This record gives sequence, structure tokens and C-alpha cells, in this order.
Amino acid sequence: MSINDATVAVTEELATRDDMIICEGVDKWYGDFQALKGVSATIKEREVVVVLGPSGSGKSTWIRCINRLEQHQSGRIIVDGVELTNDTRNIEKIRSEVGMVFQQFNLFPHLTVRDNITLAPIWVRKKPRGEAEALATQLLERVGIPEQADKFPGQLSGGQQQRVAIARALAMEPRVMLFDEPTSALDPEMIKEVLDVMKDLARGGMTMIVVTHEMGFAREVADRIIFMESGEIVETGTPEHFFTSPEEDRTKLFLSQIL
Amino acid sequence: MESTPLDTQTTVESDVATRPEEASLPPLEWMQRNLFGGGQGSVGAVARSTSLTVVFTLLGLFAYQQLLNFIFSEETNWNSVRVNLRLLFTQAYPESDYHRIWVSLGLVLVLSGVGLGLMKVGRGISMKKIATWCVGWGVLVVLGVFLRQPSVLVGDDGTPLLADADGVALARDGLGALVYLDGSPAPSQGLSVVRESYGDAISSRSGWLLIGLVLIGIAAAIWFGFGDKRRRSTFLPAIPLSIAGIGALISTTWWYNWGNYTFSTDEETGVSGFNFEPSVKVAETTRNPWTIMFVVLVVAYVLGRRLRGRAFEQHFRGLLILGWFLAPFVTFFAILRGPEFDWAYVAAVDLPLWLAFGIGGAALMWALTKPGIGEVGRVLAVLVLAIAAFTWIAAFFGWFGMLQKVRLSFLLLGLTALLAPNFIGEARQRLTLVYVWTGTITIFHVMATIINTPSSIEVPTEDFAGGFMVSIYVTVFTLLFSFPLGVLLALARTSRLPIFRLLATVYIEAFRGVPLITMLFFFTVFVNLFLPEGMELALLAAVTIAFVLFSAAYLAENVRGGLQAVRRGQYEASDALGLTTVQRTGFIVLPQGLRVSIPPLVGQAIATYKETSLLAIVGVFDFLRMARDIIPNQPEFLGERKPALLFICVIYFVGAYAMSKYSQRLEKNLGVGER
Repeated sequence: MSINDATVAVTEELATRDDMIICEGVDKWYGDFQALKGVSATIKEREVVVVLGPSGSGKSTWIRCINRLEQHQSGRIIVDGVELTNDTRNIEKIRSEVGMVFQQFNLFPHLTVRDNITLAPIWVRKKPRGEAEALATQLLERVGIPEQADKFPGQLSGGQQQRVAIARALAMEPRVMLFDEPTSALDPEMIKEVLDVMKDLARGGMTMIVVTHEMGFAREVADRIIFMESGEIVETGTPEHFFTSPEEDRTKLFLSQIL
Repeated sequence: MESTPLDTQTTVESDVATRPEEASLPPLEWMQRNLFGGGQGSVGAVARSTSLTVVFTLLGLFAYQQLLNFIFSEETNWNSVRVNLRLLFTQAYPESDYHRIWVSLGLVLVLSGVGLGLMKVGRGISMKKIATWCVGWGVLVVLGVFLRQPSVLVGDDGTPLLADADGVALARDGLGALVYLDGSPAPSQGLSVVRESYGDAISSRSGWLLIGLVLIGIAAAIWFGFGDKRRRSTFLPAIPLSIAGIGALISTTWWYNWGNYTFSTDEETGVSGFNFEPSVKVAETTRNPWTIMFVVLVVAYVLGRRLRGRAFEQHFRGLLILGWFLAPFVTFFAILRGPEFDWAYVAAVDLPLWLAFGIGGAALMWALTKPGIGEVGRVLAVLVLAIAAFTWIAAFFGWFGMLQKVRLSFLLLGLTALLAPNFIGEARQRLTLVYVWTGTITIFHVMATIINTPSSIEVPTEDFAGGFMVSIYVTVFTLLFSFPLGVLLALARTSRLPIFRLLATVYIEAFRGVPLITMLFFFTVFVNLFLPEGMELALLAAVTIAFVLFSAAYLAENVRGGLQAVRRGQYEASDALGLTTVQRTGFIVLPQGLRVSIPPLVGQAIATYKETSLLAIVGVFDFLRMARDIIPNQPEFLGERKPALLFICVIYFVGAYAMSKYSQRLEKNLGVGER
């Protein structure tokens, strides 16, 4: 079976799944600067999409638009059948369905690891405290640091903090996880522990959009790679297609610079 | 990395063994290096350093000498303070009701003692530090003995003896004019006071000299008796040491006769006035209560120590905080308001109102937090707020009469109802809001009832309180009310809603642009003109409100500074988790922002405490006014201003210094400045 056949097979299988995120012609300006130029993409259920591109290409802006940390000015974004509009109910609903992991972790420094994780389940999902704490313990085991539950974020290493951040997002039992350069602020020896957790998550069938510079991760885990530059989606394809036979010149240039 | 406990221990031990000893410099070498430019090698550096040290040391010694001259001068009548202690602290509070003050003080001491007992203690005070203290104070005392100028000799009539330019003694004749002893008139120029000889002066101060030398001796014993390492690693516990210090101070009432001076009414003539009672000493009337107070403090401290580390410690801390919050209200009630309730009115109006709002409000909160209530809840909450607004509008136009308390209750109900969407969920969360509501409405109604009940305690002046007591009460209530108001203003000023931003900005800028003293006059004079007929604001209430509004504007800016220090990522993380704005503010932004604002907040608290001395100017019989106006007008102490003014300086300083120390501790415990 040739690479192209495999791509076709995957694409066909994907086509049968439900749409999780639909973006249609999303535009975003910062003042006069247009950060997103008509971005359109559809992400299927259980799909892992890696977004690549040079810095300033709009990757982060795009995924931040998906849970309304940034507001797009035109186009449509539909998450799990709910369209993002100014209606706060929709925004609240989408935010509780979409988990996000940040480059700088953004853990709450004044709360213990356990409280970081249980805060949103208790107050947003309205879970009983006992249940939320059991879930926190379970998630900390899943990310490999159950013994750190009573520490404060400042007492943990960067890799541990990022794993707590992932556990915190997962505690909301989201249907989609967004990763905004999750390993960029980490020391090299800590990157692997975070990527392992993400791989594990991908194998578990989570729908994921990952903005990253980790090519190894993209090649191994991604179902699809989206390449962006200057606020546009330049090329989309499977990892095999993307890394071995890119079509666009800009993609080739990018790959030649980083590989 | 996993390591067994044994491993860790050996590492630690070897660490200690290999750490190089940092020997502290011997005193002489320290002085040479730090004061006289030693070790810098150049003559210029030594000369510069030495001359600076000498000049500023001389300046300091001169100031110290002048202070001592004043404190110990025969012309300074410390009796004016000693016999007026009660007046300074509680004004003319009736002696028969003094037990109320003691009970209140006891309550505060119980809270303090337990709190101190529960406090996380550091290592304590090192012997090195104690030695430094002892040597510092010892040198100060010994220096003082030699520095202070010999005393002025005072004649039988209490005025200093004078001599002419040649040192020939002068006296006063029957008319008070200065004459030589042979009766010839004295010159009008070149006169000087007669002082005792220097030798007599030093020998009369031998007691002080002994104290100074003993202190230096203790320091020397610690310094030479302990090795360098033990000196740094032997610690005395700080809190028991301070409690012992308080005990020593209280024990003075048993052997030193502090004076007594009261405000009383002559039974026969019915004239009220200050009554000088040299035979009755304050020590005799207060040493028993003070001793009981000390025992209470010690018992509470021991209790706190016992509770530390127990399973329910955390709950107990919560209880303690609640206690501190309620203490001002409880003691205010106990001290200033005799429980002279109109029980019929309470039963007919106050109680039913409280029950109606309490139960009705609780039921409303329960209903509004029902899962799935959706938009109906918000509409209902707004409706309640609209009713509250309507009652105010009705009052403005005089459509129907209604108790002010009811209008305020409606307002509170509406505001609490707006919070309801954040508490939708299972029973536990719904109950939280119900508790918040019942707590709020209960405190409000109890306060309103207390305020509406006339006091049964009779004092001769218009204000029911005075002296330092009133300074403390105004400070405490100002902080208690201005803090939440300041936080709300800060949040409003950083809000996304333009109307909140505008109002908060206008408020803050307006109040920061007006001098406090002007505000105080404005509130005491003008506010009563705007109030509805039959309503009058007591002087103290008016000035407290002025203080609250003023202080809130400054607090708001301090808190805003803290809020701006909260990083953007914290907002984004909260939003990404789906927290509502109220939840984000309450759980994430405020806890972090307030931590950063602790130093300026405490600064503002200290400023408020000191600014209460402005009360004297608007007519309250406060601490300063006692010292400045009342004592100098007593027949026994006419014109005697300075001792009392110095005394209140010391008392103000002690309070402000304690607050400043406490905030340093708080900052350390909360890890301000560390992330």
C-alpha cells in the first residue's frame, strides 16, 4: 500500500466521524494587522491535529479563538454543534467542553496541586468535593505525579507543572484539548515527560489540536498536520505526506529550515 | 530521585560539617571596619569615614541629651500623665461601668492569646541578638547617666532657682519679684538657673548606672560565655518572652503607685468636674483586673499551643478569624451600649423583620440556586433589586413610610440574589449561599437594633467615648468597613462595565483630591443638613463614615495595584476552565492580588490609625485632645502640655510599630515576593 493509498484510507475513515470543530473563513485583526486570514478547517472527533508554522504565523491565535480567549471578527467557529457568538451561555458551554494547556502552564500559584485540579470541577461542573478529589487523584496518577498533590505549583519542576496543567484541563472531562506550545517553556530533559502524557492522551481517543515545534511528536502522533503561515492555512495533510512530499514552496522552505 | 530517609539524614549532617564557619567580627574590629573606614587602605577613606561617624554621633548624642533633659527635668510634671491615665485612655467613662471595658479587653486578649499560641513560630530570638540588645540598651543608659545635664534646683514654691551672671543666688520676694537675698533688686539680664553639681548629679543616678552596667554585663556574659556557634544557634522563644515582658509591666501595679484622676459629680453640689484624688492610686483600683487579664492571656496562649497540630486546628483557625471579625461589634456593644432594649418594640418589629428576611431570603436563595433554573433565576434576582430600588425612590418622593432597615434589607437581598447563579448545584453549594445570606442579614439586623437602642451608659460629655478608646474604635471600624469597600471599588475600577469604571474612578479621584480634615468637617457640619427630618448623625458616626469613605479611596488604589500584578495568564487559565467572572475574581484574582498589596494595605492601616488624631480638631474628646486641651486646663496642671504629648507619641508609636512588625510577619508567611 503506497503512502497515498494510506492517506486516502485514513481520510475516508475520518470522513465517517462527526465534526468536532468547524472553522469557516475566520478572520482576526489586531488593530490594522490581520492575524488570521480566512482560516477554514474541520476537525473530526478523536482526531489529533498538529499545527506547524513559523512564529507569528497565527497558530496560537487560531486555537485561542476556538475557546474565545481571542475574539474573531468574522467567519464562523462551531464547536461540537455550538456556534461561538457573543452569547455568554454558548461561550460558557464551549469553554467547559474545551480544555486548554498553555505554554507558561498558568497554574494558580496560591492553590495546591489538588485544589488547582478540583476548583473547576467543583464550581463549574458542580461535582461533589469528594468525587472531584477522587478524580484529581486518578488524573495525577495518569500523568505520573500522584505524590505531588499537596504541594504548591512553585515547588514543582516545569515538566511536573505542565503535567498538572494537563490534569487540570482533563478534570473538566473536555471533549477537545487545545495545546498551545506546551513544551516551549521547558528544559530539554523535561519535554519527553510531557509529550509522553500527550501521546497517551491521543491514544486514548481525545480530540486534540496541538501547536508545537516538536517534529518527532507531529510525525508519530498526528492524524493530520496543518501548516500555517502569515495567518493562512498553507497546506494540510497526513504526516507522511507533509514530511516526505510537501506540495507548497513555503512548506518546503519551512521544513528545510527546521529539519 | 528516590532516596531513603537515612540517606537524606547523612547528607544533611555532612552538609553541616563541611559548611565553613563564618566567625562574627570581634566588636573592636567591627567598629574599626564599619565606622572608621578600616580595611580600605586609603587615608582619605579613613578620614572621610571617621569624620562622618564623629559628626553624626555628636548630633545623635545631642538629641538624646535634650530628650533626657526634658524627661527627667524637675520642671516636667509627669504627674499630669500619671494621674490622668484613665482620662487619657477612656475619658470620663463611668467607673461603675468599668467592668464592661475589662470584659471586652478580656475577650480581645483571649483571641490574641489563642492566636499567638496557634501561630507558626520561627526559631525565636538568638542569644547573639539578645546580647546585641543588652549592650545597646546598656550603653544608652550609661551614656544617659553621664550625658544628661545636672538637674535644675527648684525652690519651695516649685519654680527653678535663679542666679545672676556671677552666680550669686536670687530669690523671690512676697510679690514674686526677683531679689538678692539681702533684698536689693536683681538685674533683669544675664540670669541663669541654678543646677546641682555634676558630681551630685552622677551619684544621684547610681541606680541607673547600675542598670546599664548590669545590661552590659549580661551582654558580655553571653558574648564570652557562649562560643560563637552556640551564640548563633541558641534561641529563646519570642512569644513567651514577650508575654513575660507584659507580665513584668503589669507587675509594676503591685509596687509602683500609678496615680488616679477621675471625672465625677459632686453629690452635694451636683457640679461635675475633674476630681483629683491623690490618696487613691490607679494601681490599687486596676491591679486586680490587670492581673486577671494577664492570667487570661497566659491561659489562652497555653490553650492555643495545645490546639496546635490537632486535627481540627484548621476549623479552629476559621473560628478565630470569625471571632476577630465579630469582636469589634461585640465589644462596642458591651462597652458603649447598655442593654436597655425596648423589648416590646424588639418583639413587635425587630424580631419579626429579621425572621421574615432571614427565612424568606434563605428560601429565595435556595430556589434561585436550583439546578436548571436558567434565565428565570437572573430575572428574579433583578426583580428583587428593582423592588429595592423602588423603595428608595418611594422614600425620596415620600410616597409611603418604611423603616430604613427594611429598605437596606431589600438592597442586601437583591445584591445577594445576583450572586445566585454561581452557587447553582448540589445541596452543599446551595447551602453556602443560604448561610452567606443568613449571616449577612443577621449581622445587619443585630447592628441596626443596637444602633437604634439608646445607650443606658451616662457620661458627662456628649460623646459616649473618648481618649485612646475612641481612637482605637474609629481605627478598627474604619478598617473593617473601608477594606471591603476599597476592594469593591478596585474591582469596579478594573471592571469591563463602563458604568462601574466611571463611578469608581469619579469616587476615588474625588475623595483622594480632598484633604481628610476637610472631609471630617464636611461630614460633621453638612451631612446633617441633607438628612431627612428627625434623623441625626452622631458626631462619632459622622467622622467614622468620613474616615471609611476616605480610607476606602486609598485602599482601592492599593488593591488595584495588586490586581494589576496578577498575570494575564491567570485570567486566561480561569476563562479556559469556564469559571464565571465572579468565581474568577473570588478564587483566583483577589487572593493573588491582595497578597501583593499587603505592604501598602498595612501602610494605609497605620496611616488611618495615626490620622485618628485629627478627631481632636473636629471636637471629639480623643487621645490627642486629652493631652493637648484637657490636661493643660486642669487646675493642678495648668499649661502642662509637653509630658502628655510625649506620652501619647509613645503610645501611638507602640501601636504603629506593632502593626508594622505584624505585617512583616504576614508577608513572610504568605510568601509575598516569591512565586
